[in-house]
Amino acid sequence: MELIEELKTKMIEALNLEEMTPADIDENAPLFGDEGLGLDSIDVLELIVLLERNYGIKIADPKQGKEIFASVRTMADYVAANRTK
Amino acid sequence: MNTRVTYRVRLTPECLEMDGKRVAEAVAGESFLTQLYRMNKMDYPKFFKMDVLCKVGFLASEILLQAEGAERFVPRSDRAVILFNRNSSLHADRTFQQTIANPEDFYPSPSVFVYTLPNIVTGEIAIRNKYHGESSFILLPEKSQEAMNRAIARAFLDPETKSVLTGWVEAVSETEFEATMELVVSS
Repeated sequence: MELIEELKTKMIEALNLEEMTPADIDENAPLFGDEGLGLDSIDVLELIVLLERNYGIKIADPKQGKEIFASVRTMADYVAANRTK
Repeated sequence: MNTRVTYRVRLTPECLEMDGKRVAEAVAGESFLTQLYRMNKMDYPKFFKMDVLCKVGFLASEILLQAEGAERFVPRSDRAVILFNRNSSLHADRTFQQTIANPEDFYPSPSVFVYTLPNIVTGEIAIRNKYHGESSFILLPEKSQEAMNRAIARAFLDPETKSVLTGWVEAVSETEFEATMELVVSS
């Protein structure tokens, strides 16, 4: 749960979601598309940088991205299982 | 071709002028650009992702085009967007350079990189307003009304172009910027 909140805070900063607070982000909602946060393709690149910079995670296979970035919760699960720092 | 200016806006770090009248002044606190975004009740979160040059150009266009009322957001190909400045996207260029300057902390920022071209400003305005006409961001060695007038006149040589959203949009830092934008229509 702590990691989820940490990710929300880092995402708000990295993606300049100035109008949002961590509480506004539903960790189970989709990150992309109209139903969730509505992030775009540049945002996903920024999330990849975020994971590498903060958790030492390099996403080598682009096909993994769809599963990893499905929601904040799936991101947190992936970070918890693969982080090197 | 005869043309006339319908609306004009000027935006500086100190104030906003519409058709020569001062309509808003910066107050202490948030940046003036953010203040204007909130004052005008814009619902466009992408604004916060923009670099300062894009924010300045985008805000000036938003405030100027409000005067068009119900005509806004109707897709059109008869309007060109032609902007000018001297320093291109230098502020975003420098910001991006900082993300790659340290080999020990080398994380190029994709979201900063996308703004390292000045014509992103014209693109953002065209997307927002559903313009499908010409869009250009022209760099000049200095601010020259004569040079800008020549470019505007060239735009009107396209028989499809009936109006041009144009002006000088410069931003070298978060606190040093200027936009002088106007809507020129054929008459």
